[in-house]
Amino acid sequence: MARKANPARLVLALLVAAALAVFLLYTSIAGGGNPSIAPSKLAGRTGEVQLAGLVVGPVAGDAHAGGLRFRLRDIAGPSKARVPIRYAGSVPDLFKVGRHIVLTGRLRNGVFVAEPGSMITKCPSKYVPKSGDSST
Amino acid sequence: MTLALLLAALLAIACVVTVAWPFLREPEPESDALEKLEPSERRRLDLLEARDRALAALKELEFDHRTGTVSDDDYRALVGPLRREAAATLQALDDGALPVEEVDAREGRPARERIS
Amino acid sequence: MAELGRAALIVTLGLTAYALVAGAAAAHIGRRRLARSAQNALVAAFGSTLVAAGVLLAALLRNDFSFVYVAQTTSEALPTAYTISAFWGGQEGSLLLWLLVLTGFGAAAVTLNRGWARDLVVWVVPVFAAVAFFFSFLVVVVASPFATQQAPLDGAGMTPSLQNPYMLAHPPLLYLGYVGLTVPFAFALGALISGRMDERWLVATRRWTLLAWTALGIGQLLGAHWAYEEVGWGGYYAWDPVENAALMPWLAATAFLHSVMIQEKRGMLRVWNVLLVILAFSLSLFGTFLTRSGVVNSIHSFTQSSIGPWFLGFIAVVVAVSLVIVFRRLPQLRSPTKLESPVSREAAFLYNNLLLLALCLAILWGVVYPMVSEAVRGEAVVLGRSYYDFFLRVFGLPLLLLMGIGPLVAWRRASLRSLGTTFRWPTAFALATGVVLLALGAGSSVPGLIAYTFSAFVAATIVLEFARGTRARKALGAASWPRAFSSLISRNRRRYGGYVVHAAIVLLAIGIAGSSAFDSVAEARLTQGQAMSIGDYRLTYQSLEERSAANATELRARFAVTRGERDLGMLEAGKNAYTVEQQVSNEVGIRSDPLTGEDLFVIAEQIDPDGTVYLRVFVKPLVNLIWIAGLVFLLGSVIALWPDAREQRRLVERTRDVGVPATR
Repeated sequence: MARKANPARLVLALLVAAALAVFLLYTSIAGGGNPSIAPSKLAGRTGEVQLAGLVVGPVAGDAHAGGLRFRLRDIAGPSKARVPIRYAGSVPDLFKVGRHIVLTGRLRNGVFVAEPGSMITKCPSKYVPKSGDSST
Repeated sequence: MTLALLLAALLAIACVVTVAWPFLREPEPESDALEKLEPSERRRLDLLEARDRALAALKELEFDHRTGTVSDDDYRALVGPLRREAAATLQALDDGALPVEEVDAREGRPARERIS
Repeated sequence: MAELGRAALIVTLGLTAYALVAGAAAAHIGRRRLARSAQNALVAAFGSTLVAAGVLLAALLRNDFSFVYVAQTTSEALPTAYTISAFWGGQEGSLLLWLLVLTGFGAAAVTLNRGWARDLVVWVVPVFAAVAFFFSFLVVVVASPFATQQAPLDGAGMTPSLQNPYMLAHPPLLYLGYVGLTVPFAFALGALISGRMDERWLVATRRWTLLAWTALGIGQLLGAHWAYEEVGWGGYYAWDPVENAALMPWLAATAFLHSVMIQEKRGMLRVWNVLLVILAFSLSLFGTFLTRSGVVNSIHSFTQSSIGPWFLGFIAVVVAVSLVIVFRRLPQLRSPTKLESPVSREAAFLYNNLLLLALCLAILWGVVYPMVSEAVRGEAVVLGRSYYDFFLRVFGLPLLLLMGIGPLVAWRRASLRSLGTTFRWPTAFALATGVVLLALGAGSSVPGLIAYTFSAFVAATIVLEFARGTRARKALGAASWPRAFSSLISRNRRRYGGYVVHAAIVLLAIGIAGSSAFDSVAEARLTQGQAMSIGDYRLTYQSLEERSAANATELRARFAVTRGERDLGMLEAGKNAYTVEQQVSNEVGIRSDPLTGEDLFVIAEQIDPDGTVYLRVFVKPLVNLIWIAGLVFLLGSVIALWPDAREQRRLVERTRDVGVPATR
């Protein structure tokens, strides 16, 4: 069966190339996202990062007036690093001491200042131990 | 606990019977071969499908033309090849592949059961 | 009774193993009774899985906390409906549900098709059995729902946010969708292995694919609605990996649904369709893996578990084996017909596929990027909302437009002149709508305006199609206009059902555009008696109420809502404190406007002890169109799925003509 040059295939090939080009252009211009790191690795980083860790008390302040203040530590591992956090904006219901949360922001003068409203709490596992000490 | 075990045993037995059923039903079958389509049958089936496809395409073109989706010019350009295609499949069906009774009779096989 | 459950699952494991080995052997050497026996094994596997499921359900209903699973997911106080939903709430139970639906679908698909697609079905049985074997292995060895313990006094209870009617239906529907995609996959592989690579496997699985796709779509909409009302952050989709896990297979399945039409009508794209169905199935396995393995940072994260590596391994095996099979059959898969013109319905469907797949792959890249970057650079980099929004617009908006163009282009080739005539009125309507909207202020969001304009275009084409079709049927001799309309739909169920689904997508697009591009938000701190304004709404904080419900204490701030002159009644927002689970949940107040579909969305972020409330209020225009779209979507799918007696007759006649032997 003779294969003659078909405009349809050319059009398709061009469209595929266009889609790829759009993708590459976007990722190179807008850049990737934010690195997701643990509190123990935060020291010295200047850019915007996503911090994932466990909430350490005491929790003070008001998220809607002046900022909520608490500290964050690694989820797992031996590090004893405790990063002070200042957060303003919506606080998810599940937020409490010991909860695994994720924040976006940057380090300023030793305090991690979070983007307003960027806090996400990880849903605990479907079941909650009755005794109340969270182990998720 | 024993009730559970009893039920489990019943379940297992039921499953074994279900799995063995074809062998239990026909311990000595006349043919255990998996019926496959003969090449001539396969060809005929393919041709039937091609015929139905061509006829359906014609019908759809007519309807699209009637609703105005396909313009008169486009219709004139497209209907010719489609009609030729449909005619070709009908011709091929008449010529080549014969209905199965014919083939059976020609090759001296007993008539088969049909699905009802 | 746990022993019965465990035993039943072991029986299932054995049956699926037998069905796999015996089925493959029977198909290979051509032994009828063995093939039938393998088929029976698959059906029996459904039976034994049903027994196991019954055991678990009974244990849940009688609050038997000696079952570890029951103790982990329910409590005495939990209402019955949610106790039932706990079946699929935890990992082991959800795997059992997967297995149950899988064996059920397998038994049904094989039984229903065995009459006229026998040479295909003999190979479908072992493929299905292989997938079922994997899942039975998981529930028997890795994650058994029937672990027992010394029964505690009460169970741990269910996370409050899951105690919601939407969560009753959301997971089962998603599972119907995920598992449903196994059917076309198994038939595709069966077709490849058996050498029957024509359109029969498509016809046999057409309704299954449509059913799975519909379930997946509705399941996602329910999930979005749950997120909107229950989680209450003001949105309905967060591009969370677990949400994407269901979206990706749905997009692939949408592409598949369209491209199979090309193969049925023109015999083209055989390789493409097989690859697409393998992709869709792999994505649904991947979706289950993402949701259940805790491997990605997700707000929905479930426990980090041991099934992750197993799933990943299985996906790798599925993809590798499928590709090998495709590769070996490649010469026979080449189709006789070629694409004739870039301006044709085939081409339009191909562009549609391209866009859907591009979006699907962009989302996939976004989901795996953290894992990839961690492996490559040692640091997980997370892509944010803007990444996904960008690609949704770049690929989604042209897709929206294409929905209006595709159905009106002729097969094979269409002249540009005829296109001009066909699209004259819809284009004019769309442009006029765009201008009007621009005057009304929609220029504040360019993508939103584009979405509205494209939606107007597509809506016009759909209305035109129905109108012209009805007129044509009337001209052909229908008794009356209503008769013409109904006969139009009943004679072309797939086509006009498809148009209704397109209409649903248009509504969805309008709803999403309105609520995300044209919404507004305001925050305020109010003491009792104070008021705040947003848009032309005014909320006055009247009182704070505390009441007790069955398993929670409810705290509600009450607001009087007015818009301009009109009094719109009272609205409540606040928090629930759950006693057993010791958790607090956000309860938002939503006031939906029946005329405009707009929502006033009130979140009581913080209620201080002195009664001061910190409020976050959204106005979300047109958001209710999204939920209405779900209903229209369901209607369209039902129309397309409806059995067609004429088509069935034709199928039977064809096989009878050829003399396919009767089944015993």
